[in-house]
Amino acid sequence: MIPAQPLLEIKALNAGYGGIEVLHDIDIEMQEGEFVCIIGANTAGKSTILRAISRLVPNVRGTLRFKGVDLAARTAHDIPSLGIAHVPEGRHVFPDMSVEENLMLGAFTARKSTDLKQRMERIFELFPRTRERRAQLAGTLSGGEQQMVAVGRALMLQPKLLLLDEPSHGLAPKVVEEMHDAFVKIHQGGTSILLVEQNVGLALDVAARGYVLESGRVTLKGTSAELNANPAVRAAYLGI
Amino acid sequence: MKRWIAIVVIVLVAMAVPQVLNPSGYWMRVFTLTLLFAAMAQAWNLIGGLANQLSLGHAAFFGIGAYTSTILLLKFGISPWIGMFAAGALGGLAALVIAVPTMRLQGHYFALATLAFGEVARVIANVWTSLTGGPGGLSVPFVPPSFAAYSFKQLLPHAYIALVALIIVTVIFEVIRRGAMGYRLRAIRENAAAAEVIGIDTTKVKLQTAVISGVLTAMLGTLFAQVAVFFDPDTAFSAASISIRVALIAIIGGVGTAVGPILGAFFIVPIEELMNDLFSSGAAGLSQLIFGVILIVVILWRPRGLVTIFEALRARLQGRGAQS
Ligand SMILES: Nc1ncnc2c1ncn2[C@@H]1O[C@H](COP(=O)(O)OP(=O)(O)OP(=O)(O)O)[C@@H](O)[C@H]1O
Ligand SMILES: [Mg+2]
Repeated sequence: MIPAQPLLEIKALNAGYGGIEVLHDIDIEMQEGEFVCIIGANTAGKSTILRAISRLVPNVRGTLRFKGVDLAARTAHDIPSLGIAHVPEGRHVFPDMSVEENLMLGAFTARKSTDLKQRMERIFELFPRTRERRAQLAGTLSGGEQQMVAVGRALMLQPKLLLLDEPSHGLAPKVVEEMHDAFVKIHQGGTSILLVEQNVGLALDVAARGYVLESGRVTLKGTSAELNANPAVRAAYLGI
Repeated sequence: MKRWIAIVVIVLVAMAVPQVLNPSGYWMRVFTLTLLFAAMAQAWNLIGGLANQLSLGHAAFFGIGAYTSTILLLKFGISPWIGMFAAGALGGLAALVIAVPTMRLQGHYFALATLAFGEVARVIANVWTSLTGGPGGLSVPFVPPSFAAYSFKQLLPHAYIALVALIIVTVIFEVIRRGAMGYRLRAIRENAAAAEVIGIDTTKVKLQTAVISGVLTAMLGTLFAQVAVFFDPDTAFSAASISIRVALIAIIGGVGTAVGPILGAFFIVPIEELMNDLFSSGAAGLSQLIFGVILIVVILWRPRGLVTIFEALRARLQGRGAQS
């Protein structure tokens, strides 16, 4: 039997900005259907990994493959059509457009699709508050609602892989919970997720396994249970 | 519906105006120039309003347009109607050449870089004497009047051509603004990071916009050459009286809206002409000073442009309607 092709294959990845290298020899592999997290302190380079996958970091060296496709040879605007949706750090909505317009723009590269209304319906089911606010300008939503719109917009693409960069940062605990419940549902629906979180407890709660990133290097990896039990992780990130 | 009625009325009025003016008089010239500058500000509005890149180099495209058709007419006897398309092609090419290195720049940096490109174009036109005639300028040669030759005894036909040009450029602007390209540009304007991750090719969209703007501006340069009859590099490639003026007209009128550049032109061009007329004999520079003061007052009063007067009026009318 041929071994299954990994969904995402990152090998010996080095990346940085200008002359400064931020990521050193990163190895990350994901199979289809997995829910994986990357945890680590501030400036460890977590966002840079996601940005490298989305080709938003100009300088990359090493292997970067998605379903066998060499991402390094692609440009940023090719990425969504390959089936990778990225929810960047911070609440990036189009402020002067309605919630519906924001969602519609998510399916921007899915030109031929006729089922956009159904896709939107599914997002409204996932985040009922976006349905209530569908006609409201996204810039006037609360922080949590904006983040729901940003995630919903990414889902409009019906991606194979969803990249989430600190989606719960700065949100009220109740909204964070709502958000993570939604991620579990999205994952159950068949979307693979790569989640970046500073809230390590939460990340290990929802993801099946994780990578620990320190100063641009993967220092530890394992199942969530293993990482949860690891004394170093507990001391550094869980404050126990 | 109401909107369409308003548009039809305005166009009809604009068509009637030349009929009551002296066919080759001073006011016909002012009216024609106003329409041309409105059209140019509308073309600028694509890049300045929709792509949100403040270009101060549009004189480059304008000058290229004026020179291309006039040189083709002088050297090969080609009608400016055809020369206009050659002008557009070269203008688009120039826009591409300027936009590729500058489009990634933001705010002031883009403004300064385009200003510099405009100045470079002016210097080249001054120096390349064999082609442009250098600082001595060019005269559009006299040809027997006919529509096909783009030659008329009076100014009147120029006014109508300028009106048609303004309508065409405005329609192009509006079609782009409301279409897929307008949506892309709006997404980039509202949140560049989000636009990137949903797969918008930000560089490509901005380049396309710049090229369309350059093509239209160069074609308008041809129309200007036919009205002006004589021009030199310092007028056709002028930073102050073309590049900055066109940007100013759009900004004063209201950037990013189709009505803004038209309002701006009908405000700025006649006032400027009037000022020059009233004060030119007395103290030189006084007209500039008064004009400057007027601009400052308007910008302080309507920072988002004269179009906001209509919004305020509409709000007040609706308020009154609600009361009664
Ligand atoms: N656009 C950029 N230009 C230059 N340096 C950058 C840029 N973005 C990030 N960096 C640097 O790269 C390093 C890693 O940043 P990154 O954003 O990947 O960290 P992070 O782990 O996501 O941090 P945080 O938890 O604060 O989001 C930091 O030192 C940062 O200063
Ligand atoms: Mg980050």
